[in-house]
Amino acid sequence: MDHAQNSVPAEALKHLDALYNLARWLTHDPAEAEDLVQETYLRALRGAHLFQPGTNLRAWLFQILRNTFFTLYKRKRREPEALDPEVLDGLVPIGGATGVGGRLADMRDATAGLDLTAALNRLPEEYRSVVLLADLEDFSMREIAWIMDCPVGTVKSRLFRARAILKGLLRDYRQ
Amino acid sequence: MECAEAREHLADLNRGQLGADLTEAVRGHAAQCPACQAGLEADAEIRTLVRAQVPRYTVPPALRASIQAVIETAAARPSPAWRRWLRLHPWPAGALAGAVCLLLLVWGGYRWMAKDPVSVLAAQAVAEHAEYIKEVRTRPAADPVAVVKGLRSQVDFPFEPIFQGDPQVQLVAGMVGELSGRRAATFIYKDRAGRYTTLFLMPGAGIVVPEGDRMLIETFRPHYRTASGRSLILWKHRDLAWLLVSDLDKSEVPAMYLKVRKAA
Repeated sequence: MDHAQNSVPAEALKHLDALYNLARWLTHDPAEAEDLVQETYLRALRGAHLFQPGTNLRAWLFQILRNTFFTLYKRKRREPEALDPEVLDGLVPIGGATGVGGRLADMRDATAGLDLTAALNRLPEEYRSVVLLADLEDFSMREIAWIMDCPVGTVKSRLFRARAILKGLLRDYRQ
Repeated sequence: MECAEAREHLADLNRGQLGADLTEAVRGHAAQCPACQAGLEADAEIRTLVRAQVPRYTVPPALRASIQAVIETAAARPSPAWRRWLRLHPWPAGALAGAVCLLLLVWGGYRWMAKDPVSVLAAQAVAEHAEYIKEVRTRPAADPVAVVKGLRSQVDFPFEPIFQGDPQVQLVAGMVGELSGRRAATFIYKDRAGRYTTLFLMPGAGIVVPEGDRMLIETFRPHYRTASGRSLILWKHRDLAWLLVSDLDKSEVPAMYLKVRKAA
């Protein structure tokens, strides 16, 4: 009985929507996102024997997707408008703004999604991915660290800084 | 709790994934720190906003069909027999792989030793040198004349005059050691910068000084190499093998060699 290997194909399809969503955010291009997802599934199926049954298949697939993205695509070419986090740190007073709650509450109208999408797209990839994996995909900090191959502390600090940057960018969009 | 530590826990706190003690500590800190309190609020609010407002891209039907077809093909295809066997018999497979690795290591080791017979001697000498340094650091320096005299009586081979130090280098200790099963007279020198050099003196029978890696030092051509960051110089004089292991680098060790070589 080769259950371990066969469980990967059976389960993998359930995560297609989430994988495609992240692929779109990474590539900014529908056709390239499709290619990326296809390549991710091919790699996952080829490496299915490496997957440890009982561990996190979803996180494993996301890790393959992200690694495939960095292998196949030139990261810099995809990030022409991303802000330098060091520069942003200087511009955005982390936690220093007042009245944040009210301003954010005001954002929840028909245009907020557009502003938020634009703000997310201006984040450097490693910050944007942390936000998407944490907030949209509900991965834990530890799972994100595993997917992104970095320490948990780095994930937490990126998330904190991403929040502060987003807060500043959203304020700018509203003004 | 410091701000940096508190900020690391804000996301976990808002998700209810923090233990009671840490929750209390982070909340306590945020209550006193407007910046961290704002960060805590921003974390919750932006998370809510992202979940509510960020669009999710829809998978094109053609892509879904394509992935489904790939998956069905993969699920229907049996895995190779050897992979099934490995999965069903992990222990024999691991043992077999381990045995093969061991054989390769032994075979490689023999080839390495055959190609480089001094390597084992050099490795042992470097290890002994490191041990001697640890030992002599805690001892007061011995009388050089007494060191040489004492060693002459403890080893079963005669040796010529030994370098007993000068204003730059001090002979601080001597002891009987063993290298590759040979009893060796061992002299430990220390220079003014606190760097150590150990001279091993032993019967030369069976020790071959490699022809390669000779260093020209005045008219002498001893063998030179480095091992574990230490300089080694090996030569034969009369019936004895002389081996220097030194903290000095390649540019400095020739001077030390000349002191020892010319004293003999």
